[in-house]
Amino acid sequence: MPRFNIRPYIFIAPALIYLAIWIFYPILNAFVLSFFDSPTGRSRDYFWVGLGNYTKLLQDDLFLKSLYHNIIWVLLSIAIPVVLGLLLAVVLSGRGRTRLVYASIYFIPQTVAAVCAAIVWRWIYDPSIGPLNWLLETIGLTGRPWLADESIVLIAVNMIGSWSYYGFCVLIFMAGLQNISPELYDAAKIDGAGAIQRFIYVTIPLLRNAITFVLVYTIIGSMKFFDLIFVATNGGPNEASTVVGLRIYWHSMREGRFNYAATMSTILTVVILVLSVVVIRQIVTEDGD
Amino acid sequence: MNTSAQPRKRRSYPSSRIIQSIIIHAILLLFVFIALFPIYLMFNAALKTSAELFQSFLALPKDPQWKNFGFILNEQGYKGALYNSMILSTSSMILTTVISVLAGYGFAVYRFVGKQWLFLLVLTGLMVSETSVLIPVYQLLQDLGLLNTYAGMILPQAALGLTFGVFLMTTFFKDIPRALIDAAVVDGGSDLQVLRYVIMPLARPAIMSLALIEFMWAWNSFFFPLVIATKQWLMPMSVRIIDFMGRFTFKYDMIATTTVILFTPILILYLITQRSFHRGITFGALKD
Repeated sequence: MPRFNIRPYIFIAPALIYLAIWIFYPILNAFVLSFFDSPTGRSRDYFWVGLGNYTKLLQDDLFLKSLYHNIIWVLLSIAIPVVLGLLLAVVLSGRGRTRLVYASIYFIPQTVAAVCAAIVWRWIYDPSIGPLNWLLETIGLTGRPWLADESIVLIAVNMIGSWSYYGFCVLIFMAGLQNISPELYDAAKIDGAGAIQRFIYVTIPLLRNAITFVLVYTIIGSMKFFDLIFVATNGGPNEASTVVGLRIYWHSMREGRFNYAATMSTILTVVILVLSVVVIRQIVTEDGD
Repeated sequence: MNTSAQPRKRRSYPSSRIIQSIIIHAILLLFVFIALFPIYLMFNAALKTSAELFQSFLALPKDPQWKNFGFILNEQGYKGALYNSMILSTSSMILTTVISVLAGYGFAVYRFVGKQWLFLLVLTGLMVSETSVLIPVYQLLQDLGLLNTYAGMILPQAALGLTFGVFLMTTFFKDIPRALIDAAVVDGGSDLQVLRYVIMPLARPAIMSLALIEFMWAWNSFFFPLVIATKQWLMPMSVRIIDFMGRFTFKYDMIATTTVILFTPILILYLITQRSFHRGITFGALKD
């Protein structure tokens, strides 16, 4: 046991205190707030309602719908930008310096603020004067009111998110692939493994860290995102693209129902935590095989 | 001649490889196009008049409307928003970076009781979103009288990137050879001297990466500023853009101009310092 030393604590104290004030205390406070209600939204008017907010939430169709949309968003984000990023990274990994050029360009949309991306794509999707429908009609297809059609709006907005996210995935997977020694591929080739087999049996298992990171990052990002959908559709049309973040904003900042919104925040935190732990444990267990 | 088989084989082998290589390049270039085309449209629209934009999205502007930028910045008063964005991003970048470097030093160099647990505690911050902490943060700022102030906008924003910062600095500092630090300590160097003269020079690229990424996050941030800065004089560019859309519905040339003003500083920063960006983002992901 080393002699007790105060110095490391002094160095980490600012970070811990800062996080305690702005992250940990708010998380716990939101949890506490979820058991109270207040007619005015002010803390002196709080009264205890127990699980009242939670039972109300479970009957709140709009909230359940928004949570469902978040889950769909997770799946879409894994199916499109993450898978795409993985494939592009594998294709690029065989190349020399050019792969860095490609990866750099793919990453550019990630540097565009979500607000900007939403604005630009709103115009691109505009049914009457937007470039996308114009392009489709030029090649003989029919355009659609992408952001005004309830059946496709969520996918249309996810395309904006995917546009800005796939380059990020390429970058992470490419860095992960760099750590795999080429001899493993040669060995697999000698054993008669085809390209697809090499991908499944060599690449994927060795990319475990990168895949875990990207999946967890995607889940967290998909559960909490706000900017993009707020600007692109604000949840519309007819709440067909509403998400939990929008509900929290709406109930707290527009209606002043802080306790109800804090209940949603708490559920959001728990869902993120549970999903992340499930993914991490799933992949870590596979490690043991 | 029995040699005829050989040339044929030689001919078919490269040609199939060429086809394969063409397909791969076509795919790679397709995604270059996908990445850049909306950005091209954005810049293009910003430099056209509404009428010209309506005629064609693709053609380059005949007479670039540079005055669009002057109109937005001066006449529409967006210069102030740009200034607010600058204050917000620079301050939260400095705050996060300094606190992260200190904590990274503590975690990477020392062994102490509760280290694992405290590090894990810091990491849980990664799972927290603005929307999860909105209400308590808002009420805290209200109680402190910090709503609609620069401090109120900066303080919680800096917290959002802090977990990432501590994590990145710790992993980087751990890679610095222990012998260098021990040598400095033996020579009588204090903690701050070790940090200043041993760690900082070696970790400068990492600190650069962190600062750049934090700057970009704060510059592009939207949710906290939207809620905390409700007075127009305080709004950063990312929030005032929204206010603009309401006033200029369908004036896509003007809307595009504002997005270009928000995006260009980050684009330039990224193009100059790509490697730094990439290093920060990938290093955090793959060291564990």
